[in-house]
This record gives sequence, C-alpha cells and structure tokens, in this order.
Amino acid sequence: MIDLAFKNILACKTRSLLCILAVMVSVYLNGSTATMNNWMYTTMTSELARYMGKIYVQQGGSSYPPFDSSIAETTAQEILAHNDLNVAQSTPLIFVRLARAMMPFMPAQAMVIGVAPGKESALWGRAEPASGVGAFASDERGDVAILGDKAAGYFSARVGDDIPINNTPVRVIGILQKSSMDSVNIAAVVPLASAQRIFAKEGTVSAVLVGAQDVNNVPTIADTLKRDYPLLQVVTQDDMLKDAQAVLKMPMLYMSVMSLTAFVVAFAVIMSTMVMAVFERTREIGTLRAIGADARTILVTVFAEIVILTLVGGIPGAILTLPMATVMNTILPSPAQFAQIVLLAVVAGALGGLYPAWRAARVNPLEALRYE
Amino acid sequence: MTPIIETHDLWKIHPMDGTGVEALRGVNLRVEPGEFIALVGPSGSGKSTLLHLIGAMDTPTRGEVLFEGKNLTALSDGERTQLRCHEIGFVFQTFNLLPTLTAFQNVEIALRLAGVSSRERTARVQGLLTQVGLGARTNHLPKQLSGGERQRVAIARALANHPKLLLADEPTGNLDSVTGEEIVALLEEVHCAGQTIVLVTHNATVAMKARRVLQIKDGQARLAAETIH
Repeated sequence: MIDLAFKNILACKTRSLLCILAVMVSVYLNGSTATMNNWMYTTMTSELARYMGKIYVQQGGSSYPPFDSSIAETTAQEILAHNDLNVAQSTPLIFVRLARAMMPFMPAQAMVIGVAPGKESALWGRAEPASGVGAFASDERGDVAILGDKAAGYFSARVGDDIPINNTPVRVIGILQKSSMDSVNIAAVVPLASAQRIFAKEGTVSAVLVGAQDVNNVPTIADTLKRDYPLLQVVTQDDMLKDAQAVLKMPMLYMSVMSLTAFVVAFAVIMSTMVMAVFERTREIGTLRAIGADARTILVTVFAEIVILTLVGGIPGAILTLPMATVMNTILPSPAQFAQIVLLAVVAGALGGLYPAWRAARVNPLEALRYE
Repeated sequence: MTPIIETHDLWKIHPMDGTGVEALRGVNLRVEPGEFIALVGPSGSGKSTLLHLIGAMDTPTRGEVLFEGKNLTALSDGERTQLRCHEIGFVFQTFNLLPTLTAFQNVEIALRLAGVSSRERTARVQGLLTQVGLGARTNHLPKQLSGGERQRVAIARALANHPKLLLADEPTGNLDSVTGEEIVALLEEVHCAGQTIVLVTHNATVAMKARRVLQIKDGQARLAAETIH
C-alpha cells in the first residue's frame, strides 16, 4: 500500500510540501545545532590540548584570551626565571583583539599575539608555513608578522605585503597552514617588542605562558606561582577546561533547547498534518475498511505516508547542514551521524504519526456510508 | 441448501440522547443463493441498517445474522474484515471510489487486499472493466468519469473477488434515470450469471427488477412483492 501513500501525498501537494518544508527546516536546525555544539566542543578541546603541561599566568579576573590582562614585564621575567620551567616552551605574550566575534560566545575574528621570537612553538607546537617562514629569527624586533590561515584571509594578505595593525604597516613574512587550533588560525603573530611598540604597551605583557619540564610538576609549579603572585591568576589546563566548560554550558544548553524545539516542531507539524489528512480521508479509509482492508493495512498506509514525508524532508535538511559544517570548520558529519539526524526526523514523524495512524485504524467501515 | 444470509429476531437500537432509536425490531430474513432481493421503504425505515448488518459492517443489538450458517455476531473485527474482503461485495450510492486511483487501480485494490497475485490481478481487472463496459477507460481517474461510469467501476470492484453476496445501497440514487436504468440492467446481467444480490432502494421501478421485494416498515420486514422474470 506504499503506492497509495505516495498517491495520497501527491494528491494534497500544498499540504505535503508544507509538511516536507517544516521537516526540512527542523532537521536543518537539528543538524546545525549539533554542528555548532560539535564545533564548540572540538574547538575547545583542540585549544586546550596545547596547554598540556603548561600554565597561563595573567591578571586576576581576566578571561581567555586575556585581552584585558596587563602585568608588568619585570614580573613576567621573574616568573620565567622560576626553576623547573621548560624555557623553550615559556614566553611572555601580548594579546590584542582586532575584530570582534560575529556572534556571541564565538571567538574573535582576528587578533594579534605578541610572542618572544624563537618561542612561537610554545604557542602552536609544530606549524608548517604555507608560504614564507614559520618562525621569527631569535633576534627579530621589527614590525613583521606571521599570519594564521584565517588571519591571512581577514587581511587579504600574502607574504611580502604590508598589513595595517593599529595604523602601523607590518610586513607579512609567513603564512601558516591551517591549524586545528582556531586561536592560531585567526592570529597575526608579531615579535613581542613589536606588539608592545604598536599598541603602546611597553613594559607590560598580557600573560606569561609557562611550560613545565615535567608534566607531572605542573600542579606544584602552579601552587608555587599562586603563592608567590597572589594577585595574579594562575591557570592550568584543568582550570581552563573547567572555565571553558562553564562558559560553553549556556550556549550548548541553548543549542540543545533549539534542537529539542526543532524536534517538537517536526512532531507537531507531522501530527497536525496527518490528523488533518486522516480526518479529510475518513470516507476513503472507511471505504477501504468496507471492502476488506484490515486495521493493520490502514496503519501501515498512514505510517508509510509519514515515513515518506519525513525522509523527503529530512534528507535534504540533513544535506543542508553540510555547508554549515564546512563554514564552521568542523569535521563533516560521518554517515552514521548523518543517518542519526535523518533518523531523528523519522522518529519525530513516527511519534507525531502515532495518534493519526491509530485514529485511522479505528475508522469504522460505516463511515464510508455515513459521509454520503 | 444453506441460505447465504439468515437473520433471526434482529434488533438494532441506535443510542441517541440517552434513549434509543429502534431502527430494526425483530427482523427475520432469509436470502437464498442466486436470489435478487430489493429492500424498499421510506427514509429512516431501517433498510440501510439491515444492509450494514448483513454486510458485516455493523453488529446487532439483539438477534443474529448467519452468513452461510456462520454467526456474524460471534466473529472478531478481523474475521468480519476478511468476510467483507472475500465473500461480500459492496456498491455504494456515492460510488466511494478512491480519488487518487485510476479505474483499473480502484478495482485492483480489492484484489490486492485479498492477496491475489499481480499477474492474476491484471487479467481479472481488465476482464471486469470490459464486462462493465469500461475496457477503454481503465486509466481514467474517477473525476474524469461520469456518474454512471463511476458506478460501473464500483460494481466491477464489488465483483472482483467473486463474492457470494453483492450488497448495493441505493446504487442509482445519485444517477439520472437513463444511467440508473443502465446500472440496474448491469446488476440484472450479473444476477443472471448467478450472483446473489441484495439491493436497497426507494425507487419502485428499480425494486421491481428484483425477484423478491421486501418492505421495511417500522423496523420490520414484510414481503411486498414477488416477481417472475
């Protein structure tokens, strides 16, 4: 009786189209919110992965990235003189935001990071340049920059171009390959002295990135720094994880509520559409019952109609989430995740279709005559 | 010979506003195989109610309906459905064709519900539509057919599973007199081929085509006429 379900769908084109559209939007919202959540989570975890064995010291009350933090450079030097530090992985840093995020809870579009020349790897580990150089000369003090992938796009710059940073022309000497860490992708990294000069921050830094020689010593070093610099904020990977989770809790909850709302909308639309369809077709269903269709056949026909509607709306809806996943720079949904999104729509449809299908199956054959 | 239909003291009371409306009051009826019976009576006399009961579409308040000796009131909903599918054919006043299906598919659906194979269905539907004079209009939707043609499709559908009993509820009620006569002629033709028919009508001319005419009045059935054809 699947062909009958198809014919019923085609017979009421406008209603079917509206239902399909609603399912499509609902699946798109579901998929998009899942992508956003996925993006937020992967961004957070990949960002935090590089702080393994590292400690951030910044002004008390600052958030990350510490754009608002300012600590004396002399204090930074004292901190870097501590024992047990991995000197190559420790550096004072300056953070300045260039362009705000496009949406709340999202990172800045572009920022400047000032780093001690030769210590860039503390920031991004091993990063290969797509063009130019991937690190500064150890004595570099000039107004030069290595751009992350997105920052290069933001400035529309190539190696050898001058980009304006706070009205100062800065020469691009390298562009990095796309990194898994978004804070590197959006950064224009300049030598620390240059950043201090450009933003008139001589004698201050935003934060000190401290690398431990032994990862197991991180808690001890963090405790020592907290004791010695009570006015500063000493942040370990664990602390950042907790902070990030706290910050992401609300937007992720919001996304989940949106996802649930989309699910409920799909459920309600399918239920109302099918209740209406069953009501309008009471006589036809009664006729089928009168000529020998059992309740199960009617149930299957109505369910077939629901499954067709949800699949026809759900699959394009799920496909529509792919550009979103590309824009959000996340891993594309796997076939299993893709199927899960569509399956969710079918489940919403099936739940929404329970009542109308049950109602259709209970239609009395006498209805075929009663509607005369 | 076992009658096709036998009713004993059949009562049907429709509940209404806390009281009951007695549609049938102890009807006794016997329909032999090959008979053509017309049930006549004024509106609300209970003739359609009687047709629904002997068609296994409704259950009596009291009494029993026997279909070839089998008590319909003792059957489950599923068993009654099977009976309607295989043993009883219905022709409705308003044709009741499925609007999304072609004439061919409307007849075929009765066979699909009965589980007839695809190859057999095609041959049988084509034969039935030719028999009712619609061999050239098999791919037309109901809205593309005239009232008479729709009723012919409905008759073909009712006959699809070779039912032992054909029930027709005012089959000419929605047709003009000429078309109505054509439909009655078709039913007579079917009857002559051995089909048992019970027909409800308030049209005396149509009723006189039947071998026995039963008058339903005050919820009871009385023989009104017996004709020889």
